[in-house]
Amino acid sequence: MTDLKKKDETAAEHGKCMLNRRQFLMYSGSAAAAASTISISLFPGQAQAKARVVGYPRKLVAKLSQLKDNQPLDFNYPDDGPNTSCFVVKMDGAKAGGGIGPQRDVVGFSYLCTHQGGYLTGKYQAVGEHRVLGQCPLHLSTYDLTRHGIIVSGQAYQSIPQVLLELDGDDIYAVGMMGLIFGRNDNLMEG
Amino acid sequence: MATKYYLPEDKTPLPPKSAEVLTTCCDYCIVACGYKVYRWPVGVPDGGMKASENAFGVDFPSGPLQAWVAPTQHNIVMHKGRPHNVIVIPDKDAKVVNISGDSSIRGGTIAQKCYNPDKPTNDRLMSPMVRINGTLQPVSWDMALDIATDLMKYTVKQYGANAYGMKIYSYQFVENTYAGSKFARRSMKTANWTMHDTPANVTSTPGFRDAGFDNFGPAYRDWGDAEVLMICGTDPYETKTMIFNQFMKPAIDSGQKTIWLNVRETAGIAYAKSRGNALFIQLDPGTDTPVLGAIARVIMENGWEDSDWIKKWVNNKWESSSGFGQGTRNTPWQWRTTWGKFQTKGFEDYKKWNFAQDEFDPKNAAKVANIPVEQIYQAAEWMAKPKADGTRPKTSLGIEKGFYWSNNTGNTNAVSSLATICGAGGRPGQVVGRFGGHQRGGTSGGGYPRNKSAQKRPGRRRQALDCDRYFYSGNTRFAHVVGTTWIQSMCGSAGLNTKFEELVSNNPHQVRSFDKAEIIETLKKRMDSGGTVVLNQDIYLRDPIGSRFADIVLPAATWGEEDFVRANGERRIRLYSKFYDAPGDSKPDWWIFAQLGKKMGFDGFDWKNSNDVCEESSRFSRGNRKSYHMIKVAAHKEGKTLHEKLRELGTEGIQGPAFYNYKTGELLGTVRLHDTTMSEEQMVAEGRTQGANMVNKKGTHFNSQTGKVNIQKHPWSLFSDYWVWMKPKDDELWHTNGRINEIWQSGFDDVDRRAYISQRWPENWTEIHPDDAAKRGIESGDQVLLYSDRVPNFKQTIKGVHGKDFNFAELLKNGWIKLDKAAVTAVAIVTPHVKKGTMYSYFINTAQPSNALQGRVPDQISGNYNYKMGVARVKKIGESKYKSEFRSMSFAPRNIV
Repeated sequence: MTDLKKKDETAAEHGKCMLNRRQFLMYSGSAAAAASTISISLFPGQAQAKARVVGYPRKLVAKLSQLKDNQPLDFNYPDDGPNTSCFVVKMDGAKAGGGIGPQRDVVGFSYLCTHQGGYLTGKYQAVGEHRVLGQCPLHLSTYDLTRHGIIVSGQAYQSIPQVLLELDGDDIYAVGMMGLIFGRNDNLMEG
Repeated sequence: MATKYYLPEDKTPLPPKSAEVLTTCCDYCIVACGYKVYRWPVGVPDGGMKASENAFGVDFPSGPLQAWVAPTQHNIVMHKGRPHNVIVIPDKDAKVVNISGDSSIRGGTIAQKCYNPDKPTNDRLMSPMVRINGTLQPVSWDMALDIATDLMKYTVKQYGANAYGMKIYSYQFVENTYAGSKFARRSMKTANWTMHDTPANVTSTPGFRDAGFDNFGPAYRDWGDAEVLMICGTDPYETKTMIFNQFMKPAIDSGQKTIWLNVRETAGIAYAKSRGNALFIQLDPGTDTPVLGAIARVIMENGWEDSDWIKKWVNNKWESSSGFGQGTRNTPWQWRTTWGKFQTKGFEDYKKWNFAQDEFDPKNAAKVANIPVEQIYQAAEWMAKPKADGTRPKTSLGIEKGFYWSNNTGNTNAVSSLATICGAGGRPGQVVGRFGGHQRGGTSGGGYPRNKSAQKRPGRRRQALDCDRYFYSGNTRFAHVVGTTWIQSMCGSAGLNTKFEELVSNNPHQVRSFDKAEIIETLKKRMDSGGTVVLNQDIYLRDPIGSRFADIVLPAATWGEEDFVRANGERRIRLYSKFYDAPGDSKPDWWIFAQLGKKMGFDGFDWKNSNDVCEESSRFSRGNRKSYHMIKVAAHKEGKTLHEKLRELGTEGIQGPAFYNYKTGELLGTVRLHDTTMSEEQMVAEGRTQGANMVNKKGTHFNSQTGKVNIQKHPWSLFSDYWVWMKPKDDELWHTNGRINEIWQSGFDDVDRRAYISQRWPENWTEIHPDDAAKRGIESGDQVLLYSDRVPNFKQTIKGVHGKDFNFAELLKNGWIKLDKAAVTAVAIVTPHVKKGTMYSYFINTAQPSNALQGRVPDQISGNYNYKMGVARVKKIGESKYKSEFRSMSFAPRNIV
């Protein structure tokens, strides 16, 4: 943990992360032209946004060429401790906020429902143009994976945490996280 | 292209061991989940991840269903003038309601409701204000109250008590509703008084009242104990989540059959369907009465009715007509039934009547409702067909606004009769009631002076005044609006808004002076010229009632800022603790009424604190469903205050009516009303009958003249002319509206000031079926205009002599109805979960109130609006930004399982 942190705090790593954050935010818009006009002021609280990627490990989680449409691939993030079940999925061309890859349809999320920690394994669904996670077996929350995991219908207190992904050639890296993972008081546990 | 976006945080503080813990309940839906507030001063270190280091006593990371704190559950507030952290989370120790600390998204994020100058709640009203030169300017409490009371005195003197009108919430804690109704009804003596959700002080469920059913008789567990549950006009998952999560879902999982009457298939319905034991009757708006009548007919044709129950518990001819002193002469029941349209001579008479009505022929009912006829037979079989061993299924029926605000009288009568035929009403798991909307926080501080109402029909007693129409006709010179938008929450709201503009803003007499006497003189002149002065009490400046129309604004303190008492939908009474300082100079509404009362020279407004008000009010709760009087008796015996005693009861509270055993000193709750399994001997043995305990018939019998159920007719013809007239013409679609899970309806909190919810629902929206959308070239995310030139509206005065003169068709023919235009914009959500031919909108986006499209013609029997009935055309006017970006909103359907 400590080692990872140190590594991420180097200037080079930091720059990489910041670049990724900007890209991540840009991907929220669908038009390239719009993306270039997005300014940081769109999101007040820069320091806070920075915290979302600073300190997070950069972890290889999949290869783009290995991902099959609509078939989630599981990994742990940001560490291998409790409550770290995550998945990356290529959503068969459904463009998404935070999506990477040529079609911007590759996204990563936590598997833990942010209502009461229900496991959403096996709950990825492609319904027409929609890509959702849910219903949660505990209390039926569903999340829209094309929109940063926002709640579609249900009781969760926040979106399903999104893993920030970065594409380096064919390699997909997890580089940060948006939103607090269920059960944690800090995504980055002190080692 | 910036849209509303909430940047999620990835850490949150845990409460330290030393945190103070207070109990409260959620402020929103009827269910009122129990919550705990953890409070510790900013500067004191947060709790740690080890169980021994935090107030939960839980190791972090925590596991599923364990305590956890989402960032939206933390806030910083002032407590005794010092900044404190607060964490508000569902009570993990809860034994009732939200057992083990379950919660909805609404209550789950309630910490964000608290005033925090760094958060979107920073525009709370902080000071009394008076509109001077068109701008609301802060003034002292004394100045604002002096102006208000001088004008109130003038109003009564010049124009009579009814010229003073109060529009107030029905639910915002017993202390406030008691003080408010004491002020307006008992002291001001006005009949121009009504609540937030009705144009007149009338019942929302006339059929229940006349049959003898209390709206909130059932216990929550009854909804789970039923083997067959009919749910009309709501999906409890969406708007009273814990009833679904804690009681219905486990029942559905173990085989409970559910029958849903709804125009939309939302998550709860979709889930029930996915379990294979649900019947979803997706009917057209307003057609419930024929469907229920037809189900009843099929049951009776097959002889599946609960004969033993009916024999014992249904009024026969003589009982139906009996007066028993207090009389059918002067009860709402008599008032409505003397039209000869409802009363029966008992079950056989009802059956004969039902069989004689064409609309209850299943074929005809299915056609009107636009549903497969097989569903009617299926429902009848599930609800009433005896099992192979001869026992009956335990059937319960629950209703809510999609149902009773479609055809108010007809539907509530029909469901009462169907329930009675099925044997539902007074046994565990066999109940009928409302699921509920707002929490139950009303205690009456004075009788409604019905004899002063200006509304009367020949040969009948006076009706409660239609305050909207009274305002329209210019009779309300002083409008006192407390904690409600009034305008947008009423039907045909565009017309009401225009009238406010005319009587308030466009009146030439506007305040241009800072001198108190001159201000008062100007506003008197406004009244004398036929205009209206508006006083608004609220926690935020609401548009338009506060921001555009109010002459005087008084800032209110609310949930968490004062100790308050309220009951939930199973009559559970609890204390809502004060846990932080109210912003600025804001004061609880009871305090404001107290000052107004004192300045008016009224007696009995010298309360020192909210407990004083609560204790005074308790005796007026005696005999009602949430009576808390005996809690006070117990408290005083123990040398405590009523609030102190309730604080001890925590989130469990006690189910009303509360009883006190004088021998054991024990407080006893009431699990359900109309509990026919409870005997008189048992009541005596439990000590519920001594001293000040008040035992009335609704505990063990029904709330009718005899204690038995009135089985009533439910004629479609009283409503069908309105329905036929309204039925979509040409390219119109039905337009109906309601709440949605993530917002419920406290828009001032969640859509306006809770970043995450604003991101989910940033704008007004309407759901439209894919076929209807394709025909009009509409896609999800398009901005659409909903418009209508057929919004039927009462004229200022209506007149009629005979019963049928008040039928819609006659009113129309005789020129008492005008047709208004209305339009609102919305973002389209094209989804198969809404019925083809029907659009469904959120009902109270205050900027684009979809109620503007709904007909303002009150139910002629009850006097309430049929809010859910409207039509509209829809056309694309552009594309919203949400169509092409991925931050806010979602267009995914709500019925994905």
